[in-house]
Amino acid sequence: MPGEIVLSDHFVLVITILYFLLIWAFYPHMTGRRNIANLFSNVWPLLALVIGQMFVLIVGGIDLSQTSIMAVTSVLGAMVMAGRFDPAKFEQNPLWGMVFSEQGGLLAGSGWAVPAAIIIMLAVGVVIGFLNGLAVAKLKMPPFMVTLVAMSFYSGLAIYLTRSENIMHLPDSFIAVGKGSLGPVSSAMLIVVTLAVLAFIILNLSILGRWFYAVGQNVRTARVSGVPAARVVILAYIFSGFCAGLGSILYSARLEAGRPTLGRNLLLDVIGAAVIGGISLYGGKGRLLWAVYGVLFFVVLDNSLNKMPLQFYSIDIIKGGVILLAALLDSLRTRIAARQTAAGEIA
Amino acid sequence: MIINLPDINGRIKMNNKKRLILELLLIFVLFAAAGCSRKDKEPGRITICFAFHDLETEYWVAAHKAITETLKARNVKVLQRNGHQDANRQLEQIRDAIAQDVDGIIMIPQDGESAVTIIGEANKAGIPIGVFNRPPANRSNPALVVVADNAKIAEQTVAYMVKTASQFNRKMTPLILVGDLGDQNAIERRNGFYNAVKAHPGLFKEPIEVPTKWDAATTLANLEAALQVEPGVNFIFTSSDFLYPQIKAVLEPLGKWKPIGDAGHVILGGLDGDSTAYMLMKEGYVDATGVQDLFFEADAIMDALLGAIQKGQARPEKWIQDPGFALTQENMAEREMDMWGCRILKQAEAGKAQ
Repeated sequence: MPGEIVLSDHFVLVITILYFLLIWAFYPHMTGRRNIANLFSNVWPLLALVIGQMFVLIVGGIDLSQTSIMAVTSVLGAMVMAGRFDPAKFEQNPLWGMVFSEQGGLLAGSGWAVPAAIIIMLAVGVVIGFLNGLAVAKLKMPPFMVTLVAMSFYSGLAIYLTRSENIMHLPDSFIAVGKGSLGPVSSAMLIVVTLAVLAFIILNLSILGRWFYAVGQNVRTARVSGVPAARVVILAYIFSGFCAGLGSILYSARLEAGRPTLGRNLLLDVIGAAVIGGISLYGGKGRLLWAVYGVLFFVVLDNSLNKMPLQFYSIDIIKGGVILLAALLDSLRTRIAARQTAAGEIA
Repeated sequence: MIINLPDINGRIKMNNKKRLILELLLIFVLFAAAGCSRKDKEPGRITICFAFHDLETEYWVAAHKAITETLKARNVKVLQRNGHQDANRQLEQIRDAIAQDVDGIIMIPQDGESAVTIIGEANKAGIPIGVFNRPPANRSNPALVVVADNAKIAEQTVAYMVKTASQFNRKMTPLILVGDLGDQNAIERRNGFYNAVKAHPGLFKEPIEVPTKWDAATTLANLEAALQVEPGVNFIFTSSDFLYPQIKAVLEPLGKWKPIGDAGHVILGGLDGDSTAYMLMKEGYVDATGVQDLFFEADAIMDALLGAIQKGQARPEKWIQDPGFALTQENMAEREMDMWGCRILKQAEAGKAQ
């Protein structure tokens, strides 16, 4: 029975529920309406990023550039749609007068401003993802190196484009994408659930999904079996870039600004949530449900640590410890599964 | 690819699942009973969330210490939250604190723009909020704000350095260590530097900018590289005093770490007013440093916030200005005790003596 729970797909969910209940016993505000709303509003944008990261992890890669894609798309989107630019802050900017001015961004005031900005943010994410994938799949560069350099490059680019200034005065209709709701359902939830459904269809109901796993498990075998491995890897990075663009839309909207430093410290949360969910850093293993559970646990953990009268450094130590524990559990689960499979074969 | 559970016996497996669900339900009921019988808040005791962006310099460490210790001494429960220089994380932390029904919030925001959004969240919840040292980008949402005039303090400091430089009757090569330009204070200090330098175009060559990202290792590497390219630098302004050890580490091997009055002395200045700057001014290596009145700022924000909580004000608004000043070799004898770094050092020395 314990082995069965540990091996279950729902193990992280069980742990999350037990942990939530434990914290609830000490902090009744955990189940307060406002706190539950906080929990979910924190889940959606992070989940968008983790879903993208999951695709790259499944093919045996890693995308460290997600947060810098967020930064660069955040400022590009804002440059298109912002309603006003403060001359004192932006007059020295090389793009002043060409891309934006005191009267606003490129399409300020137009009905197309928000849709165009959103399309540009997603498209730029896709293009950067494509370039990352190309470097990994065609130039055979290590994913760690490619995306680390991309992280540095695009973070710098975001700072350069804005001279490190945040862009405010985003249209209300854009802010509503991250903070608004349709009846009781938040718009962020609608967007990310749609993304999750798309990811589920790709991974579980399409040939492409099988190719992702095949490439992650053994790229040579996949290639011999006729899987277009390079194209599959490029697609994984493209999807990750797309998800980063989507995450950027949600985070920029909730912070009501285009920010060149957006997501600067979010990478550990993204990879941590993926690992906690059980998505393997070695490739070939990962499920949408695991990503959801990983994000849920990570957000509940974060939320609960914020409730406790802990020293600020203890919070970081605990979070780091939990991610490490999750990585250890992942290896324990793999070992138990291998032992059970071996036992089954002998029987 | 996916871990498959060995399907040994379907019935046993189903019974186990039912047992697991029952056990979870039992645990849920037990915890629910325990949870409902407790309250988060201690009655009669004020709870304040102190959310800061990070503690990367002596200034922030000293401010953090002053605020937390004073609040504890006033029997206030303090929830400390470190945003790690991430505006979104800070927003989430403050939303969590609001959900916990804290009585007030003191925030050192990551930047002025995120401060506006976060103040809006506190306003919506009817919780008074105080902003320490980094002002919101606009006044659209009411808050208690204490802020130093960084541009003016930097300008005053560099103006003294300019006055010193003008005595040499030669064109100077100025260099500025620029902070992380994602931080409004870094931008203001840079502006103050340029205001002072550009007022004397005949005295200076084009200033050299060295990015530091508020990081010691980055500063060391970038400053070394800059001085290799332009070894004639003889006028350095650091946007934060915590970078003096790196300046010394680069200048000393080049034979340029000389006290005032020696041939080859590099005119040095900074901003913050920490203990390192004080020691270096006393030893005669640093010409001037801009001082923010840390203790005034900390006391002012705490008094204003606690006052608002006691009066039951949900959205108090007040901007408190810390004019700061430039501590120079000329006014050091009279004004050194106004420098927080000097006071901290003297308090530590007095503690040791006892």
